[in-house]
Amino acid sequence: MAGRLLLRACTTTTLQLRSNVVARPLHRAMATVRGIPTDEEQATGLERRALQALKHGKDPYSILKPKEYAGTQEDPHIVPCIGTKRLVGCLCEEDNTAIVWFWLHEGDAQRCPSCGSHYQLVHHELPH
Amino acid sequence: MAHQAHAYHMVDPSPWPLTGAVAALLVTSGTAIWFHFNSTILMTLGTMLLLLTMYQWWRDIIREGTFQGHHTPPVQKGLRYGMILFITSEVFFFLGFFWAFYHSSLAPTPDLGGCWPPAGITTLDPFEVPLLNTAVLLASGVTVTWAHHSIMEGDRKPAIQSLALTILLGFYFTFLQGLEYFEAPFTIADGVYGSTFFVATGFHGLHVIIGSTFLAVCLLRQIQYHFTSEHHFGFEAAAWYWHFVDVVWLFLYISIYWWGS
Repeated sequence: MAGRLLLRACTTTTLQLRSNVVARPLHRAMATVRGIPTDEEQATGLERRALQALKHGKDPYSILKPKEYAGTQEDPHIVPCIGTKRLVGCLCEEDNTAIVWFWLHEGDAQRCPSCGSHYQLVHHELPH
Repeated sequence: MAHQAHAYHMVDPSPWPLTGAVAALLVTSGTAIWFHFNSTILMTLGTMLLLLTMYQWWRDIIREGTFQGHHTPPVQKGLRYGMILFITSEVFFFLGFFWAFYHSSLAPTPDLGGCWPPAGITTLDPFEVPLLNTAVLLASGVTVTWAHHSIMEGDRKPAIQSLALTILLGFYFTFLQGLEYFEAPFTIADGVYGSTFFVATGFHGLHVIIGSTFLAVCLLRQIQYHFTSEHHFGFEAAAWYWHFVDVVWLFLYISIYWWGS
């Protein structure tokens, strides 16, 4: 009886392994037609969320370099935030070694106490 | 599910760094115990623990990256830097042995006969098995590049075949080198020639075995569909390591086998 069970297990596994490629649904077989999946098909978890967001022009995980702003009243630095306030470090001039730190709160744009550049907090939902 | 606003991987607590450290302690002290008190138990225990640590730690990394998706593009970039830095450190490791070889061979001392190769040493003919070994490793460099392009183009069958061929070529090199070691007319105890020859080529051979193992793991992973056509850094790291091993051999061949004969 154990022999018959073993034989059944072996046959099922072999059938499963053999039909691995055939079992793949046709509409998904397009990109993997030659056997190696793409990220679009197989990426999962945080990697998938990050890649999908980047594909739609969004960057919720701050992977890319932030956009540059003039820092004027009309074009303030946009600071994304998942809470109500965020620390900002302003290098007033290029190569400055003394960084000006201040809390940026939600609401109206604030100005750097040293150089006067405008910063505007923008609320973002925590990506999940 | 963890909610984070950054793309990095904050790893979960893991016991493997501790077991690895304990293994390192047991292997080193165990080797000293073996040398002085003729007992191998500590060294063997340490080696077992080291192998278990490597298996479980790397298995966990595969789980985190491939199955859980923690290896976002920035994380992958960090892994690339890590592998490059590690290979660089290995380059310096081998540089030391090349330094030792050139120190002794450029100005051979009177006790060697004032010549290189030293008096009484029958060197290996560089145009026999060593040349074949060079061809084998160069060919394996081609096959591993073939495997990489197959993966990038999404071609499963040639990827598996070329990767398997690379590993076979690696085994062939190891086999041939083993034969050479057995048949060599000199030993590691034969003065500075023997020391420089066997320590340099010996460590190289160890790295060939390590590289072949790394590639074999990649083959198993490729068969199990771990790699995608865009994301396959484990394979790239193995291929970089393999090219490094190949380049070291070329320097060994030119310096020790050819110029040094």
